[in-house]
Amino acid sequence: MIPQSRRRVRPHTPYPTGYPTPAVLGGRHGVVVRLAALTGVVLFVLAASGGFANAADDAFSAPAPAVSGPTRSIRKYAVPAVSLVRDDGKVVALPDEMNDGRPIVLNFIFTTCGSICPVMSSVFAQFERRLGADAEKVHLMSISIDPEHDTPARLSEYARKFHAGLEWQHYTGTLDASVTAQRAFDVYRGGKMSHAAVTLMRAAPGKPWLRIEGFVRADDLVRDYRELLAAR
Amino acid sequence: MSAWRLALAVLAGLALSGPATGAPADGVGRSIYLRGVLGSGAPLEGTREAGVVTTGADAACVNCHQRSGLGSVEGSLSIPPVTSEYLFHSRAHDATEPVLPYVESLHGNRDPYTDATLARAIREGLDSQGRPLSYLMPRFALSDEDMAALVEYLKALSVRQVPGVTDTVLHFATIVTPDADPLKRGGMLDVLEQYFVQKNLFPLKPSPRMLTSGKTQYSKSMYMANRHWQLHVWELTGPAASWRAQLDKHLAAEPAYAVLSGLAGSSWAPVHEFCEQNAIPCLFPNVEVPVTAERDFYPMYFSKGVLLEAQLIARTILGPDNHPAAGAVEQVYRAGDSGEPAAEALAAQLKGHGVTVHSTVLAARAQGHGVTAALRTAALRKDARGQALVLWLRPADIAALGDVPAGAATVYQSGLMGGLEKSPLPAGWREHTLMTYPFDLPDRRGVRLDYPLGWFSVRHIPVVAQQVQTDTFLACSLLADVLNRMADNFVRPYLIEQLQALLEHRLITGYYPHLTLASNQRFASKGGYVVRFRDPGGTALVAEGDWIVP
Repeated sequence: MIPQSRRRVRPHTPYPTGYPTPAVLGGRHGVVVRLAALTGVVLFVLAASGGFANAADDAFSAPAPAVSGPTRSIRKYAVPAVSLVRDDGKVVALPDEMNDGRPIVLNFIFTTCGSICPVMSSVFAQFERRLGADAEKVHLMSISIDPEHDTPARLSEYARKFHAGLEWQHYTGTLDASVTAQRAFDVYRGGKMSHAAVTLMRAAPGKPWLRIEGFVRADDLVRDYRELLAAR
Repeated sequence: MSAWRLALAVLAGLALSGPATGAPADGVGRSIYLRGVLGSGAPLEGTREAGVVTTGADAACVNCHQRSGLGSVEGSLSIPPVTSEYLFHSRAHDATEPVLPYVESLHGNRDPYTDATLARAIREGLDSQGRPLSYLMPRFALSDEDMAALVEYLKALSVRQVPGVTDTVLHFATIVTPDADPLKRGGMLDVLEQYFVQKNLFPLKPSPRMLTSGKTQYSKSMYMANRHWQLHVWELTGPAASWRAQLDKHLAAEPAYAVLSGLAGSSWAPVHEFCEQNAIPCLFPNVEVPVTAERDFYPMYFSKGVLLEAQLIARTILGPDNHPAAGAVEQVYRAGDSGEPAAEALAAQLKGHGVTVHSTVLAARAQGHGVTAALRTAALRKDARGQALVLWLRPADIAALGDVPAGAATVYQSGLMGGLEKSPLPAGWREHTLMTYPFDLPDRRGVRLDYPLGWFSVRHIPVVAQQVQTDTFLACSLLADVLNRMADNFVRPYLIEQLQALLEHRLITGYYPHLTLASNQRFASKGGYVVRFRDPGGTALVAEGDWIVP
């Protein structure tokens, strides 16, 4: 039997010279490194290689409640003044898209993502349907984290695949603009392949955001949404 | 389904696939795994929690478990390997046992599957011990026959015997076509040979077994240094139609694990097909005209070459609103050179936008000759405004433009073919000429070239074709990084998958501002600049705008 501590923190293959160090990649890995320190394993690997560990390796097969359910928190984010390109080809300012008065539900996806993004997009599609007539009042936004590949045409095709309604838009732009948006909402993880499954929701401009980490069912998203609006 | 019925169905599946179709991988199991198509031809359908239904190609196993079946790690999610050794192997009692090759997404915390519990996992979403699988894993209502075919496929998937890999040697090939530029050929081979020499400086000892935990008594990079890298240079001869047979012959004589770099003139399609059909990773050849088959898996390119330049010119002529800035476009290229497919690509993109496209074709193999006379004829049509001249020409022809007046037309020049900032474009042309530049600008990429150029200098490698040589060095170092990451799991599709996962984290990207790949992405750098010369002489460039991703 593998000791518990070994299962929690697996040594990640070291990143050689020429790749960003964990410190560059942002906050989450800092937490992982601290976790490694707590459990007292493989620190020498991290120290020697400059690599980082992945703490959630059992999420797939082991039904540990701590990692399988979504976690919710209330956060404040400053919407950055970046230009993005909407799936209809129009250049838009992110603050304008977010501050038209409607509540916002936001996620970050890319169209060649095989695993998590299609699930998140299916949930957005279900969410729209379950809101029924109320769907007209919300603005669903999906920002590409692979903007150079995800042209407006590819995003429109992706939106069609998920039967996106009129209130759901996809956005691309320059790589810098996408990374700025990702950083502003604390979802930037150094690249699309280390994508975080995060859904964000805000009742109105100026209000704080509800941040949902992990997979959330459409029914729960509807409940979260209605509660957020009721508290507005 | 009981185990014996499943076993019978597996046998039936084996009998059906038989020797006529080759490996069992060609059957229904492969179709379900890769394409989401059932034995009946109907689309595979999977249901996730809360009734989220996924069908067809979107439901195919490959989306998450990957072509290799070795799974993946995406963010905090870890998708486990599903090849037989990971599914059916007895539980790893101790992570220091050399039982299974290390993969990042390994889940050792369960009993081995049986055919029956595996079928239950796929249909009901319960693991070998009856615990629910992740929400990401759909539940698939497969018939007994389809299930047997799928299980059979998994059992044959990514068996560890990989051609070109021995206990002590990794064999790589590089491919040079007969129409490749001899100067670039020498420059590329110098870099490859020196890189391999450096790789093989480490003393060769028997390889220690990698443990399931991913560790050896040494670090992983030292482990990899224990295998020699051997380079096979496959020089093709004769017409392109004969290359495929030559490649198959080379492969039979010298089994290579992967193709590293490579150099061609205007035709790479036979090599591309060779790589895809033989399932050999084909990493970043120096080709100006790659094959644009985004759904292929094994060939990987740094950029779309002259086809990207054609897109950049089309984008500039048509503008963001598709209102053409030119009513007529004259393209000049030499027969049989890369300009020919590039001109075709540009003409195709301008079609339907009210732009008239003409071509002036220069005779093959007469670089520097005939260009003046041909351009005089071409330039006659260029006396009005709103016209564009597109030069798909090499430096020798560019230098020969000398006494031809540029006229009023906007001139577009392929930077890749014309020598980038070193293009000998005569002074009189510079004011009117926009150059496509599918790389980062010289002043911005400098820092990313310091290391390879220093490396060349220390090893006395003459820099004869800087971009080709630094791209070759980049391909070598990416391969080394990916192999370290793969530990001793040399399954070929896994090389591609790990490269896709690693590439975008790379900071030292040579001529390119950044590189990224994914499934269904074959070109790591997606855009370029349109630039003009700042001065009547010299190499200083001014970008006409931002980085364009057409």
